[in-house]
Amino acid sequence: MMIRRAASLVLLLAAAMAGLSRFASGQAFMTESGYIEFNSKVPLHSFTGRSDQLVGIINLADSTVDFYIDLETLRTGIGKRDKDMRKTLNVEEFPFAEFFGKLITGFAPVLVGPQQITVGGLFKLHGIGLPIQIEGTLENTADGLRVRAEFSLNIEDYDIVPPKILFIRVDEIQRIRINALLTPISH
Amino acid sequence: MLRTGLKTTFIFLFALGLTADGLLGQIPRRRANPDAPVDEVFWAPSIIGMSSVTNIPKGNLNVTILHAFGIATNGIEDLWGLDASANIRFGVDYGLHDRLSVGFARSRFDKLYDFRMKANLLRQTRNDTIPIEIAVKGDFGIQTTKNGFGFADRLSYFISLMFARKLTERVSVQISPMFSHFNTVFIEEENDHFAVGLVARYVIGDRMSLMVEYVPVLGKRSDGTRNALSMGLNIETGGHVFQLFLKTSQWLTEQHIISRNTDNFLDGDFRFGFNVNRVFGVG
Repeated sequence: MMIRRAASLVLLLAAAMAGLSRFASGQAFMTESGYIEFNSKVPLHSFTGRSDQLVGIINLADSTVDFYIDLETLRTGIGKRDKDMRKTLNVEEFPFAEFFGKLITGFAPVLVGPQQITVGGLFKLHGIGLPIQIEGTLENTADGLRVRAEFSLNIEDYDIVPPKILFIRVDEIQRIRINALLTPISH
Repeated sequence: MLRTGLKTTFIFLFALGLTADGLLGQIPRRRANPDAPVDEVFWAPSIIGMSSVTNIPKGNLNVTILHAFGIATNGIEDLWGLDASANIRFGVDYGLHDRLSVGFARSRFDKLYDFRMKANLLRQTRNDTIPIEIAVKGDFGIQTTKNGFGFADRLSYFISLMFARKLTERVSVQISPMFSHFNTVFIEEENDHFAVGLVARYVIGDRMSLMVEYVPVLGKRSDGTRNALSMGLNIETGGHVFQLFLKTSQWLTEQHIISRNTDNFLDGDFRFGFNVNRVFGVG
């Protein structure tokens, strides 16, 4: 009798965990082709670096948000400048810029249109992780979750020395924009 | 029995918990292209007179202004060659693809127009799955001086196969078998020349590197043709690469450097020259 009850308990708990797992995965969205750009300013000039290989996951079940980009995929339009950028960021040793955190504000998937959200967590660049809050919008669309965000980084906070040639120096403040469609993770 | 059952339950639930945690955890970080080519085996598409395996990235335009002055060892009388007649070459090269570029240029000597193409057949990869770079370069020249020659008599050709390796972050080497052909030459000259370009580059700082190139001619050569030797300094400043050098040949295209250099570096027959490379993103 006791054995049968224990076995039932196992099955019940297993079913519950499996259900939780399916629930979690059903509310998890991922992209490997998100768009990210940064804008850099030098006196009388600015340039933009872009990549469409932003990788990210948003899990609504536990509100986790995880994004990273391989910095080598960023392109500014001039190969030599890309090489300088990789050297400045020391991409060989620190290949990723990454964010891992949680949704601070709520998000209602049933509502139509973009909703303002705030995420908080750790942004890691050049081997240094710093707490950060980022504001953006999240929208539940027929194809998945659309996330848009824009924020600024001071690269000196991450121990990156802005490139300098004679008197011309790249501004330490970099404006970052992301735009990604995350599709449901299926198993 | 009951104890075993509960133990199994516990392990089972723990395993399930891990699975759930795995779903909720961080994505494993993966490099987008672990087989990516190494960054710039050389800083510029040319060493001094010779081409390098480095190509122009897709959509980039490389504008070059190349100067080679007179013999430097004549001293102050002609300001170490700066007063002498210089050969000048203006050129543009455009990257059609990261591995393919085309270009044209105009040189003062022989009023030469030349058209060229460079293709990377292999790129050295960061993880050494491909240990060397191989590139092919072709150049086609038309001299336009008023001398009564027909069109075909004015043509010259050049082709080289370049093998290079970035040995360390500082040291790169290249060896380039090459061939040149002139449709029409004077009686004491050869139409064809074979040579091997030997190149080394040493990076001495974030913005500076040293380079040397030696081009021994193999087999038959025109009377008086000497092996060209050059050495120089690269200065990189973001979008520019300035190349300052001492070289024997005043010619600025490879087919001419191989076959028409009559100066010997070790006899003091070298001249000062420079090349300015400026890259624009236009694509």
